[in-house]
Amino acid sequence: MHDSNNPLIRLAKREGMPKGQVWAIRACSFLAAILISALIFLLMGHNPFGAFGTMIVGSLGKKTAIRQTVKIAIPLLGTALAIAPCFKMRFWNIGAEGQITAGAVGASYFALFWADKLPSPVLLVVMAVSGAICGGLWALVPAFFKAKWGTNETLFTLMMNYIMIGVVKWLQGGPWEGRPGSQIIPQFDSAAVLPKVLGVHCGWIIVLILTVAMFFYMKYTKQGYEIAVIGESEKTARYAGMNVGKIIMRTMFLSGAIAGLVGFIVASGADNTLYSGVAAGVGFTAITVAWLAQLNPFAMVGISVLLGVLDKGADTLQTQLAVPASISDIITGIFLFCMLGCEFFINYRLIFRGSHKEVAK
Amino acid sequence: MKKRKLLALLLAGSMMLGLAACGGGTQGGSESPSGGGETVSGGETEGKTVKVGLICIGDENDQGYTYNFIRGKEAVTEALAEKGITIDWQIKWNIGEDSSCEDANIELAEAGCDLIINNSYGFEPFMLKVAPDYPEIEFIACTNQASAVDDLPNTHNAFANIYEGRYLAGVVAGMKLQEMIDNGEITADQAVIGYVGAYSFAEVISGFTAYYLGAKSVCPSVTMKVQFVGSWSDATEEGNAAQALCDAGCVMISQHSDNTTPATAAQNAGAFHTGYNNDMISVAPEASLIGTRIDWSVYFEYAIEAVANGEEFEQDWCHGMDEGAVVMTPLNEEIAAAGTAEKLAEVEEAIRSGELQVFDTTTFTVEGQPLTTCMALDTDGDFVADSEEAVFDGAFHESYFQSAPYFTVQIDGIEWLNSAY
Repeated sequence: MHDSNNPLIRLAKREGMPKGQVWAIRACSFLAAILISALIFLLMGHNPFGAFGTMIVGSLGKKTAIRQTVKIAIPLLGTALAIAPCFKMRFWNIGAEGQITAGAVGASYFALFWADKLPSPVLLVVMAVSGAICGGLWALVPAFFKAKWGTNETLFTLMMNYIMIGVVKWLQGGPWEGRPGSQIIPQFDSAAVLPKVLGVHCGWIIVLILTVAMFFYMKYTKQGYEIAVIGESEKTARYAGMNVGKIIMRTMFLSGAIAGLVGFIVASGADNTLYSGVAAGVGFTAITVAWLAQLNPFAMVGISVLLGVLDKGADTLQTQLAVPASISDIITGIFLFCMLGCEFFINYRLIFRGSHKEVAK
Repeated sequence: MKKRKLLALLLAGSMMLGLAACGGGTQGGSESPSGGGETVSGGETEGKTVKVGLICIGDENDQGYTYNFIRGKEAVTEALAEKGITIDWQIKWNIGEDSSCEDANIELAEAGCDLIINNSYGFEPFMLKVAPDYPEIEFIACTNQASAVDDLPNTHNAFANIYEGRYLAGVVAGMKLQEMIDNGEITADQAVIGYVGAYSFAEVISGFTAYYLGAKSVCPSVTMKVQFVGSWSDATEEGNAAQALCDAGCVMISQHSDNTTPATAAQNAGAFHTGYNNDMISVAPEASLIGTRIDWSVYFEYAIEAVANGEEFEQDWCHGMDEGAVVMTPLNEEIAAAGTAEKLAEVEEAIRSGELQVFDTTTFTVEGQPLTTCMALDTDGDFVADSEEAVFDGAFHESYFQSAPYFTVQIDGIEWLNSAY
């Protein structure tokens, strides 16, 4: 019975789990997240039912609440779409934070200095294009080094974030500063502000269009196919005659351009100004969104909205039940942890010593 | 079999969520009626409840800026309870100076607050996006200045004449320096103050100039070096700046930044220190002489009581020692110069009565010349002051035309070590 050579638990790769079971595991993990969060509320001395209720009412219960939830979800979705092609290619772009910021800088330049020279629709288009180009170029730098000299893209893209955030800090305190010493760039002219549709800046329409576009790009275009092939095997791609370096650079430019567009949306639509925290960690959270969605653009919509609900809900929780602000981060963390963790059980199974029975959960 | 169990679990989970949603619904419902503010109407102030939103850039753990607001919040809750006014606080912590501030304002407005207080300068532009949509709610942006120009009747600004407190702290520092000179511990030209400033921002410049003038009034040979750290709150950088100033020969440190690290750095270097926002004697008992802070409860009481009674209140409020809005933290008698307490009381009275002007133009020069003209306000939005002459009756009148400080002159005797920030 006791085979002491075997470890207590072994892992084995699992192939082809039935779809129903996959979703059952996902549902379970979601449930587990709810239960663990409930436990935390209990420990904090709050009724978990009331707490979850507050979260849901706070994020979806009123028109204004829904608007704010959508506002949180917009950049998450946009950025998840941006990094999807890179991840499909197994190019680990964790520099979306910097690319968003670069895009916001590009857009802000025109918002600050061209607002009185161009009519509003033209100005907004110019801002969007400028944001996309700036984000794209910022992403192109690590891609170029990767393609030419095989540098590590993970570290490179990460470092690029801090440089761009530093640039914005300099702009805030230097050339673009409003009131001397305030470190605040003035609010944009109303011509440079994205119009609202249904009470939320129209960035939501842009990212929804992008969602569909990205779906088709990845699934039905030659470029999307090339990306998938490189992701599966770079050698195969080379053997098939693809110019891998060129594709890497092209895909990274596209990725950075979408992130830059998100930067434009956030600066113009939400903040109406530029500041160093414009990306606000979205570049990193979006990685989780993309991963949870398994790079499926439509699934990303649902997941970014879910994160928006969690975020906004936790915010309401903080005001209404006076729980500490950090609890909101903990709850979000628990949900992400459980949901990412369950993918592990979908891909691997545990084998206990002395038994060969499969453990589903 | 297994699947069925999972399904059951799932059902249970969704039921739980459903229940929770219902629970929340009733809760939200019961809350909205209190939005009207005066739950018990009638001519008297008896039994009124005011729902007040407070949006903070930090939380009380910062032991500095936001903590000082929380002290004000607690004091006013007590003071108004005695007048029969109950305050229902709704507080948002750690809000950034970005669109999350707009969201916080919306959320508090939707929660039925009668009054929403934004505690940081950078919150104002985001508050102004929300204020027009809720004309029945009063919005306050502390330390900022747009209420005069935004054409909205429901926006307010408030600040306190903190330069008065700075001046007094300067007097305490100057007396200590003069005592050290008299005892032969330092020579007259070694009386150098090091000042850790956040940014070269009007509020900071006004503060350290007042501090310097206070010191100079009792120690004529004093000079000052200012080091800007480029952050309102960066414990490490503030400590480093204080250390660098001590290394450069400063024997007295003061600060306009949020942390206590300059106090401890001063103590380690054998220098003295005067603080801001908080009593720092406990962290640096051998260095910290005194501190000064704004007592926000004075303004809060004024504003909240007005709202409770359905009265209008000033759109731009600024008071100082005259109403107790600026207070000194306890004097460290162990290390302060002899006679400091008496001198302090005397100068405080002179400021209170208006007999002493902090920015008396006979007490300082700019590039060797007395200051004869200086504009106070910027009205055309280019961030250069262009209207309202602040110099009259022999003094620069700080916070006279608007609550937010506007003194940005570099006076002789103060050396800016870096002006990058």
